[in-house]
Amino acid sequence: MSSRVLFKGGRIASAEQSSLAELDVLVNAEGRIEALQSAITPADDMEVIDCQDKVLLPGLFDMHVHLREPGREDEETIESGARAAIQGGFTGIVAMPNTTPPIDSGGMVRFVHTLAREQSPIPIFTAGCITQGRAGKQLAEIADMHQQGAVMITDDGDPVADPYLFRRALEYARHFDLVVACHCEVPELSRGGAMNEGARSYQLGIPGIPACSEEISIARDLRLALDTGTRIHIQHVSTARGMELVRRFKEDGAQVTCEVTPHHLLFSEEDIRDYDTHLKMNPPLRTPQDAEALLEGLKSGLIDALATDHAPHTEFEKNLDFAHAPFGITGLETALVSLYDRLIKPGQLGWDLIVQRFADTPRRLVGQERVSIAEGAQANLVVFDPEGQTHFSREGMQSKSMNTPWLDQALSGAVVGVVLGPNRLMDRITA
Amino acid sequence: MTPDTQVTLLSASDITNKVERMTAQIYEAHPDVPLACVGIHTRGAVLSQRVHALLTSKRDKVDHGTLDIALYRDDLDNLGTIPMIKGSEIPFQVEGAHIVLFDDVLFTGRTIRAALDELMDYGRPAKIELAVLIDRGHRELPIAPDYLGQRIETTRDAHIRVCFQEIDGRDGVFLREGESTP
Amino acid sequence: MIQELDPRMSRRKDLLDIESLTRDELLFLLDTAKPFKELFTRSVKKVPALRGKTVLNLFFEPSTRTRASFEIAAKRLSADVTNLSIAQSSVVKGESILDTIETMQSMKVDYMVVRHGSSGVPAFVAKHTPAAVINAGDGHHAHPTQALLDAFTMQEAVGDLRGRKVLIVGDVLHSRVCRSVSTAAHKLGMEVGVFAPATLIPSGRPDYMKVFTDFRAALAWQPDFVYLLRLQLERQAAHFFPSLREYHNIFGLTRERFQVCRDQGIYIMHPGPVNRGVELVDEVLTYPRCLINQQVENGIAARMAVLYWLQPATTVLPMEEDAIA
Repeated sequence: MSSRVLFKGGRIASAEQSSLAELDVLVNAEGRIEALQSAITPADDMEVIDCQDKVLLPGLFDMHVHLREPGREDEETIESGARAAIQGGFTGIVAMPNTTPPIDSGGMVRFVHTLAREQSPIPIFTAGCITQGRAGKQLAEIADMHQQGAVMITDDGDPVADPYLFRRALEYARHFDLVVACHCEVPELSRGGAMNEGARSYQLGIPGIPACSEEISIARDLRLALDTGTRIHIQHVSTARGMELVRRFKEDGAQVTCEVTPHHLLFSEEDIRDYDTHLKMNPPLRTPQDAEALLEGLKSGLIDALATDHAPHTEFEKNLDFAHAPFGITGLETALVSLYDRLIKPGQLGWDLIVQRFADTPRRLVGQERVSIAEGAQANLVVFDPEGQTHFSREGMQSKSMNTPWLDQALSGAVVGVVLGPNRLMDRITA
Repeated sequence: MTPDTQVTLLSASDITNKVERMTAQIYEAHPDVPLACVGIHTRGAVLSQRVHALLTSKRDKVDHGTLDIALYRDDLDNLGTIPMIKGSEIPFQVEGAHIVLFDDVLFTGRTIRAALDELMDYGRPAKIELAVLIDRGHRELPIAPDYLGQRIETTRDAHIRVCFQEIDGRDGVFLREGESTP
Repeated sequence: MIQELDPRMSRRKDLLDIESLTRDELLFLLDTAKPFKELFTRSVKKVPALRGKTVLNLFFEPSTRTRASFEIAAKRLSADVTNLSIAQSSVVKGESILDTIETMQSMKVDYMVVRHGSSGVPAFVAKHTPAAVINAGDGHHAHPTQALLDAFTMQEAVGDLRGRKVLIVGDVLHSRVCRSVSTAAHKLGMEVGVFAPATLIPSGRPDYMKVFTDFRAALAWQPDFVYLLRLQLERQAAHFFPSLREYHNIFGLTRERFQVCRDQGIYIMHPGPVNRGVELVDEVLTYPRCLINQQVENGIAARMAVLYWLQPATTVLPMEEDAIA
């Protein structure tokens, strides 16, 4: 058994450089990067892994994942979610607290962490609820959850509708320097809606969710954040105007960041043709112009992070009619490959941006140390094969749920290796 | 014979002769009872019109109608495209009528079966006779013409094409052999 | 005999909306409806075209009129008809639509006529059954056979519809009838105007819809047809308008506005059932150019044309086109 592993011939992606560096990576038995140089000569105690034509990037971090445990273990569990994350190239994720029961107490946070330690090879963090039971009536014990390790608070899935309560939540969270993640929507404006309100919803006869429902809520949250000085994070921005609001308040000094999902970049309402519930999520897919603006925002840095909003649902639920099927699609396994196929490969997006927005910033936002492929650092990397192909089949996917628009499609690019410390969590490099 | 080769079976004047003879036979058989000519769309209707025109010069009380048998076909399931329905026009009492049914070519007999069924849905005629310009054989049903222009031996997959001035710009009957021989 | 090969129309498996029909297909269906209507004057009104076939009326939303119309249409084509009404709530909660379709499929039906309160259900059914599926109304989405019978009725009234104008009045936002009728009218070369309170005018409406904000101005546009949509009375509770009284006064066909229509010789249409005193005043129903009864009658012929045209994927065998002779 070799004690050291040499990843040879690969090209290294980093947040700092748009070009890839052709360097070999030598990982020692303890899982640390011992050397990062060009053309390291293999020694007898090294297992050499041929990474010719492969891209090596820091392990990705998804700050927006629904793991469904406890409560809906038929949709996903911490264990299956972790497998799906690894499959997609993630070495850290943040679980949303809208489980049944919700993660709204220190005890629930500890429960998730305990399960995660037992069942997940990658670190799983959790967010805690802002209000008890996500009911929007009473503050949850935020400090207790914080002490147990909750990395952010959010009522994700719903906004805190009461602006008074939300203001108090922001002030209280600031006391502990906790970031507050905001699902922005005015429920009364969205009520009954199932897709973006516009020409497509008219054609399909599906009740619409107007863009203003999200934008008004973003504006409110930003305004309160400006007053309270709390760090807030706007989740899954889906409209150009919503993003512009973030720009304005950033300029005004609000402590605000925001994220976009791959699906809001890669799809639009126009893709909803035959009532495919795999394109139903909240916020809904907006116009192609919105998608374009979001991509520009992601490039310019106005949008700080990528996040999947991985939302597993059973086939039975997604087979309901469009109006009644639940919102949400899975994303962990498809995020990187779909971004590669649609944006990186055509030259629209560089690897440096992927590292910045899908590894560095999300980690920083939840107080985790940055991960990079550097000498002395713990190995935490993904091996990506740009020449490979991924077929998103029912058999191949690790998530318990298959509710993705990429189901049964083959895309360019493949995650072929995931390394975390001394462990190779996935290794299909030579296969 | 190559598949493209067309053989003329009847010339324009042959057709005229056959139609005249057919008219004479019908007239002889029905000198005075009320009579109706009914043609099957599309070329059966032309044949019927021609005979009807000749008959009315010899006697009166000859009605005329057309049948579109599209809705009575027994093979609707198998059609990838369907014909426009032209509709049937039967502007006389079918109940008790003496009817001569016209078609251009008699082949399997299925069209005639469909036409008979349709006629019955208009009422109960006293008698129905059948007149065809060409009988090419290969019957699949017990149906025979009462008035016949010409009988022709054909292979199963040969194509008989009847052309009428009114539709095709000229008169003539042509044979084209199919790909395979019997 | 060699069949006349043109004009022929290739067939489809399903009729889900008007949007996906070509103008030629629309015209074909309208032309085909005509001979079907003539059939109704015969002593035997039935033809054997669908003999041995089974038509299932699968209604998740109550409707006596549309269902009866489909039933008569199918029976006049000699098909066997089975009606199945399922309370929508039970489907949404427990049994999925997929389960229902599979059960129906084991009964070997050839045509499914589907009505559902939720948009897209007929499309979903169509994807999962070899039977030909006809959308008999889904959510706010489409009601294609209604649009066909309406276009047929309009054609009967004025002939060629190109250049003609139809003014649609009422709940444009929620109406599947409006979506299908306006699409058909547009495809057939008509001009389409709409008149409704701004709350019921959708933001994503197509560009060809001319929006009026005043009934007088709308009638001054000289429409050939005024098409009144049925108002779902529960819209009031959702604040789309304050009261039925006010709706009728501002947006209804009042006696005064009806007089203008009569003077201009405008045809009046309504998909039924009518809310008297809301969409229109009683007198309209006896107006000679009120086409409401013709619409009902023409529904059967239009639906027969659709049943005749569609081709279920249940029994397709390759065969020569001119095998019958």
